Amino acid sequence: MSQTFQCGENTALVGYVYDECEASERAAIDAHVAICAACAAELAALQSTRTSLVSWTPPESNLGFQIVRQPQPVFEHRTEPPKRQTSESRPWYGRPVPAWAQAVAATLIFAAGLSLGVVRGIMPTAATPGTVPAAASQSAPSATDLQALERRLRAEIARIQPTSAGVRAEAPVASTSEEQLLARVRTLIEESERRQQRELALRTAQVMRDVDSQRQVDLAQIQNSFGQIEGLTGAEVREQRQMLNYLIRASEQR
Amino acid sequence: MNWTDEDLVTRSRGGDLESFNQLILRWERPIYALAYRVIGREEDARDVCQETFLRAFRALPGFKGQAKFSSWVYRIALNLCRDWMRRQRRTPTVQMPEGADPEELAAEGGPAESIEDLVSRRELSAVVAEAMALLPEEQRTAIVLKEYHGMTFQEIADLQGCPLSTVKTRLYQGLSVLRRHLEKTGRTPQLVKRV
Repeated sequence: MSQTFQCGENTALVGYVYDECEASERAAIDAHVAICAACAAELAALQSTRTSLVSWTPPESNLGFQIVRQPQPVFEHRTEPPKRQTSESRPWYGRPVPAWAQAVAATLIFAAGLSLGVVRGIMPTAATPGTVPAAASQSAPSATDLQALERRLRAEIARIQPTSAGVRAEAPVASTSEEQLLARVRTLIEESERRQQRELALRTAQVMRDVDSQRQVDLAQIQNSFGQIEGLTGAEVREQRQMLNYLIRASEQR
Repeated sequence: MNWTDEDLVTRSRGGDLESFNQLILRWERPIYALAYRVIGREEDARDVCQETFLRAFRALPGFKGQAKFSSWVYRIALNLCRDWMRRQRRTPTVQMPEGADPEELAAEGGPAESIEDLVSRRELSAVVAEAMALLPEEQRTAIVLKEYHGMTFQEIADLQGCPLSTVKTRLYQGLSVLRRHLEKTGRTPQLVKRV
């Protein structure tokens, strides 16, 4: 810790305000503040800002957490009876699936879908004889392939969700044309673009806010620096004036 | 009997659940207050508080007492707050009551504090909360730890993982921004009774 105080040493002022500086440094700051208006004002402002902070209190909240002993320790609220069920006490099908298992499952499903697409692209299917040339089906999945895939997926979804099966069965699956598919793809792309634009706007606003905040801090520092320079200059002028007066008095005595 | 934190930690590590619950009871208010002032949302602060003690409980076997229990829990809470801020990617929004209910205010204040003083304090509190939300996370955290938790510069430096001089700079810059905001909103810092 420094024994002397340099004018404009704001971090030292912070130590002074929070009473975390050595006695010698405190004395040096006291002596300086007595002659430097800028530092005195800065010190007073810091202290009064601290005083205002006292008024900010968090809202009362009903906490009362506690750990309760179960097959596996769980957090409970003290005023409520235990409600949570640990994963160990549930049947296997009710337990949460770990993230790694979900990732593996997703990869397997994706790989299966991919291989299905490759096989379909190489081999002409029985569902589309004569409608698509063999050469075209080898290069890329055609609209008919996509329709067949969609039909199969719809059938599977209808089987999985029996409650909505009736509604889905009424959907005109066969009439889904290429235009409709394109329209759906376009809609998805538009939604994605809108989402990206929203995110971009949010990020931009965040960056602008950060820049503005930093700018304010920089401006404050510049302002303080000017004040300190003024204070220093004033002090020097006073000292020189005193020295001059002393010299004049000394020369007059001779 | 009044156990120290160290005693309670030792007993908790030995499997005494009640001792850990004693630690929670002792530290949940400060941790909640810290989370609220850093995050600015009551519900999320409660969640952070709960998660802090849950993590502490799970990590208790690895806690060898190299730091104070309170410092350890504060560190966990601050990390969770930081994660929350990153996840939310937004500045804290402080929930303040729309209006002041005189009856509620009267119940809240002490016998020496008038309704006018209470209203004034609440308004000032809202302005301070707004101003704190403007600060970068590091400055806000430094001010919260210093002003409301009475930590030393060195303790804050240890928690924030930065040099002591950086802590002082953060405090100075944060207080300067707060001062300007208070002046701009016509709330020139003035002497307020400590509550």
